[in-house]
Amino acid sequence: MQANKDSDGGWRTFVWNSEKKEFLGRTGSSWLKIFLFYVIFYGCLAGIFIGTIQALLLTLSNYKPTYQDRVAPPGLSHTPRSEKSEIAFSLSDASSYKKYTDAMTKFLKKYDDDKQTDQMKFEDCGGKCQLMPERFLKCRDTVSSTPLPGRGFHTREAWLIVKLNRIVNFSEGGRPPMNNSVEEFLLPKLKPNLIPIFCKNKREEDADKIGEIKFFGLGEGFPLQYYPYYGKLLHPQYLQPLVAIQFNNLTLNEELRIECKVFGENIGYSEKDRYQGRFDVKFNIAS
Amino acid sequence: MGYGRSDSYRVATTQDKDDRSPKKKKGAKDMDDLKKEVPITEHKMSIEEVCRKYQTDIVQGLTNAKAAEYLIRDGPNALTPPPTTPEWVKFCRQLFGGFSVLLWTGAILCFLAYAIQAATEDDPSRSARSHMFDRLSLCLQLYLGIVLTAVVVITGCFSYFQEAKSSKIMESFKNMVPQQALVIREGEKVQINAEEVVGGDLVEVKGGDRIPADIRVVSAHGCKVDNSSLTGESEPQSRSPDCTHDNPLETRNIAFFSTNCVEGTARGIVICTGDNTVMGRIATLTSGLETGKTPIAKEIEHFIHIITGVAVFLGLTFFILAIVLGYSWLEAVIFLIGIIVANVPEGLLATVTVCLTLTAKRMAKKNCLVKNLEAVETLGSTSTICSDKTGTLTQNRMTVAHMWFDNQIHEADTTEDQSGASFDKSSITWISLARVAALCNRAQFKAGQDQLPILKRDVAGDASESALLKCIELSCGSVRAMRDRNKKVAEIPFNSTNKYQLSVHETEDLNDNRYLLVMKGAPERVLECCSTILVQGKEQPLDEELKEAFQNAYMELGGLGERVLGFCHVLLPEDQYPKGFAFDTDDVNFQTKDLCFVGLMSMIDPPRAAVPDAVGKCRSAGIKVIMVTGDHPITAKAIAKGVGIISEGNETVEDIAARLNIPVSQVNPRDAKACVCHGTDLKDLSQDQMDDILRNHTEIVFARTSPQQKLIIVEGCQRLGAIVAVTGDGVNDSPALKKADIGVAMGISGSDVSKQAADMILLDDNFASIVTGVEEGRLIFDNLKKSIAYTLTSNIPEITPFLLFIIVNIPLPLGTITILCIDLGTDMVPAISLAYEAAESDIMKRQPRNPFRDKLVNERLISIAYGQIVTAGFALGGFFAYFVILAENGFLPTTLVGIRLNWDDRSCNDLEDTYGQQWTYEQRKIVEFTCHTAFFVSIVVVQWADVIICKTRRNSVFQQGMRNKILIFGLFEETALAAFLSYCPGMDVALRMYPLKPSWWFCAFPYSFLIFVYDEVRKLLIRRNPGGWVERETYY
Repeated sequence: MQANKDSDGGWRTFVWNSEKKEFLGRTGSSWLKIFLFYVIFYGCLAGIFIGTIQALLLTLSNYKPTYQDRVAPPGLSHTPRSEKSEIAFSLSDASSYKKYTDAMTKFLKKYDDDKQTDQMKFEDCGGKCQLMPERFLKCRDTVSSTPLPGRGFHTREAWLIVKLNRIVNFSEGGRPPMNNSVEEFLLPKLKPNLIPIFCKNKREEDADKIGEIKFFGLGEGFPLQYYPYYGKLLHPQYLQPLVAIQFNNLTLNEELRIECKVFGENIGYSEKDRYQGRFDVKFNIAS
Repeated sequence: MGYGRSDSYRVATTQDKDDRSPKKKKGAKDMDDLKKEVPITEHKMSIEEVCRKYQTDIVQGLTNAKAAEYLIRDGPNALTPPPTTPEWVKFCRQLFGGFSVLLWTGAILCFLAYAIQAATEDDPSRSARSHMFDRLSLCLQLYLGIVLTAVVVITGCFSYFQEAKSSKIMESFKNMVPQQALVIREGEKVQINAEEVVGGDLVEVKGGDRIPADIRVVSAHGCKVDNSSLTGESEPQSRSPDCTHDNPLETRNIAFFSTNCVEGTARGIVICTGDNTVMGRIATLTSGLETGKTPIAKEIEHFIHIITGVAVFLGLTFFILAIVLGYSWLEAVIFLIGIIVANVPEGLLATVTVCLTLTAKRMAKKNCLVKNLEAVETLGSTSTICSDKTGTLTQNRMTVAHMWFDNQIHEADTTEDQSGASFDKSSITWISLARVAALCNRAQFKAGQDQLPILKRDVAGDASESALLKCIELSCGSVRAMRDRNKKVAEIPFNSTNKYQLSVHETEDLNDNRYLLVMKGAPERVLECCSTILVQGKEQPLDEELKEAFQNAYMELGGLGERVLGFCHVLLPEDQYPKGFAFDTDDVNFQTKDLCFVGLMSMIDPPRAAVPDAVGKCRSAGIKVIMVTGDHPITAKAIAKGVGIISEGNETVEDIAARLNIPVSQVNPRDAKACVCHGTDLKDLSQDQMDDILRNHTEIVFARTSPQQKLIIVEGCQRLGAIVAVTGDGVNDSPALKKADIGVAMGISGSDVSKQAADMILLDDNFASIVTGVEEGRLIFDNLKKSIAYTLTSNIPEITPFLLFIIVNIPLPLGTITILCIDLGTDMVPAISLAYEAAESDIMKRQPRNPFRDKLVNERLISIAYGQIVTAGFALGGFFAYFVILAENGFLPTTLVGIRLNWDDRSCNDLEDTYGQQWTYEQRKIVEFTCHTAFFVSIVVVQWADVIICKTRRNSVFQQGMRNKILIFGLFEETALAAFLSYCPGMDVALRMYPLKPSWWFCAFPYSFLIFVYDEVRKLLIRRNPGGWVERETYY
């Protein structure tokens, strides 16, 4: 009965019980003790946790992640990025495609001539470069052969800059795909030491609406000499090869779905991952 | 009929009710009315007046037309069943009661959050950041909402069907006796359904019938009724047309609805039917009583308060934090809801329900049928048991307990299975005594029971005579044969003027032509008829010394609360009574003086064999056992002493007065631990005096109490803060049964009304089953604590990932689906298995829990569950696994901080890791979901340790052992389930769970081990320093 009364009327006394000098049901020293306990307790736990994390870090290699089965085969990504895999803008409204041109400009900054020539890092980089001659080339050619981004967006041209995602120590091609395993349209594009990229309409009915597609770069694909990538530590200034794709004559005011794909022995595709070795993008250009 | 004691004890006097009613609570007017005097006056009227009142005829009965008219006016003659709650209300109560409220709130919050998000989905002003966050939490909210709803509905259905099963058993009790009544209408006897009996009907009842309504007896032939269903006392009472008492309940010319006619026949006019009968009024009073919440319901309410407090506290804290971190208010609200919902222990409702059900099943196996699942625990918290005497504590069967012959008291065996000690049967006096008892006895076994043990056989006849019959049959063999050898020549049956019964028999010896006269009756009357006494087979003159010995024995046996009968015999001299002498019993023409006194036999309704032990166990479990009976104080006290309700050496005020030879008023009531309180005293007591008695006496017997007084006693105990269990079988007990925190009715002897009012039914009528109930109830309370502690520990680690996700911007370590897999998948069996855990110490040796202090869930449990074990094991173990997987895939912890925005950006398909590799969205999501799986597996691994920790609250697991097979099964089951969820093909699509590399299973092992060691140390400190700081802060 009495306890009942206490709990009924007394949440105020519960907050501060002046009789027993209790705050929230505890005296000062009791609060101090429990506080100290938790400080020490959590302190120890934090120590143990950090210890185990340190132990974990000791087991890791600096050059190569332990597992790569999730990151390979590599993804194919493009700049500018699509939102919900759509690139939509209006020719008459410069602000509608500004974000795309900005993204491309920003992305290509890394490939600027002066940066690549600076301090001769890219050619004269000490012992390691000699271990991988030839392959360690500037991306300069790629960049110089890419028309200035953004220029096209107001003239029915749309640009995408495509790169194959980096994976440490992953040999992308080895050799280009066998003739018979590749679709016919690829045959003219097949070259040795090149991972070819090809784009086409995703839906049959769009076939005559997408116009001409041009590829700029080191030979309409990704040259194998740039692979493999040896990781951030060994390859601090590595720039991956790029391919710029120009869509010349996209039909306006219509949704066009285009799929780009790279072909190579170690390149795989996945039902679920639409960016693995390929991507598809929706253009919607308003007049 | 009754020897040596007043006829009609135990029935409530109506005056009591009148006095108490003003003090009764404000309840509805008709409730007050029910507690008032029974408005029966017909017993004082002459038969003609009664006939006139009901326009009936004493010979012809009602006309059919009149009967039909009355039937329409008064309704059928049946008790209105207590307003049964419709099935859908019961179902809704399961669906929306108690714990479910919490889950419903959670579900509604989820849907609310979903609605808010869906409504603002296309709001163009929202940042990209909130956009992708929404997508994530959108499914989360909907999923959770749906799952919560499903959990509540499924659990609701489960417990509904559980209780429906129990009530079905109840239904079967109801329909046991089809009722028929023999009425006389228009001069013809017709057998009609008892429901069609109306006021004014002339009914005829005979031995074995159930009385169809309250009837005013107009003629009777040796009619005796058993009012046990009304009063609890099975002593048959005779019925005759004369009014013997002002009180309708005490008078002999009224027989009550639903009591039984034991023997003889009677004819009477129906005066009350259905709910207006005395029985009906008690039943209606019972069903009108309000009952409080069960203790476990209160505990769960308290738990909901705590958990809501914690949830709201955490939610608000992070709401403010989110605002400070610069999230929009909408996002912050969604965080708030998310955190509150994450705090809802989804699996707990199901766990608690299953635990209670398992215990209920286990109790049903031990003959305790639980009608209401929550009542399972109530017995465990019980601090006072108010027990009815007759039928509950006693066997409800008169048995010969003592004999006095050869100037010595001999003890008879009263146990149910004849395992008790026997006495010397070789004495000639005993043989004579047995012969008298067998011959001067009208009781006989009913036919066709030869295979049954003697004590189990049914007897036609009065309780005392049956007791004698069984006693003699047991010790001397067939009574029937003895009676055949000694043919009865004449008999004077018992009547209240003579107070003896007498019969004359031929002797066994064919050459002896003398007649044997045997007599039994009230000892003092029998002694008056005697001049000699048989001692060691020799007749001796009855001198003063022997008379005093007789007096002492008589007093002693009477003091034991036993009903004493005296026996004497004489061989009539052949010269005066030659063979063929015509004995005239009406005008006694033979010798009834100068007989030879043989001995005394005394009978009592002995306690059940298991009761003293059970009472002792209750006592050592700190439970106060109070006897509340309608029987006479002396008998009640004797039984109370016999079963240990008044323990040896404890005296009542009266005992002390008698010992010190001072008046009762001079004794300090505090000196007496025991107390026998008479019903008539009880009605004069004020509430304070009542409280005083209940508080200051540890051993209390209430005698001659009315149903209303039983109710008052229960209310008094509850006022003092006790949790009260009431056991009883009669209708008179049912108001108290209903009012009690847990009413325990008797399954075999109990009346329907009492079973309806009770929460639990002892199927074997054995009081000892209550001890089982207490034990199970206490165990389940302890084990529920463990289950809850176990379930709660996996609750917080489900929130911390979300918090870090918000604060440090790392990829989400644990998803909603995996949370649900834990709460509703892997956690279930181990949590339930804790219900099978054996007790840590002798739970029957400790005091009952204090409902105000010993809570199911207290802040210490929360502090342990949330503050210590969780952080130590779960969160850290899970996070460690999370960091291991990400690091081994290329994302070192330093890279992770702040990565969340890009990580969850679907359009970013070249996210760089620490090694410079670039990840598409889908690739890194697979890693993330692998992390969720690993976090989930880590929680399972830590739960291994946790369930072992939760097995005990004080003991080390090495003391407790791992004997709980279900728990071991639970360990394997949860591991197997985790492995299945991780490795089964298709799970990546169905639940987004991915196979783990074997090494990732071991990430949480150190943490699992850590919390185990931590908790063992904690328990060690608790054991080493009882009452120390560790115990005060961490013992739950």
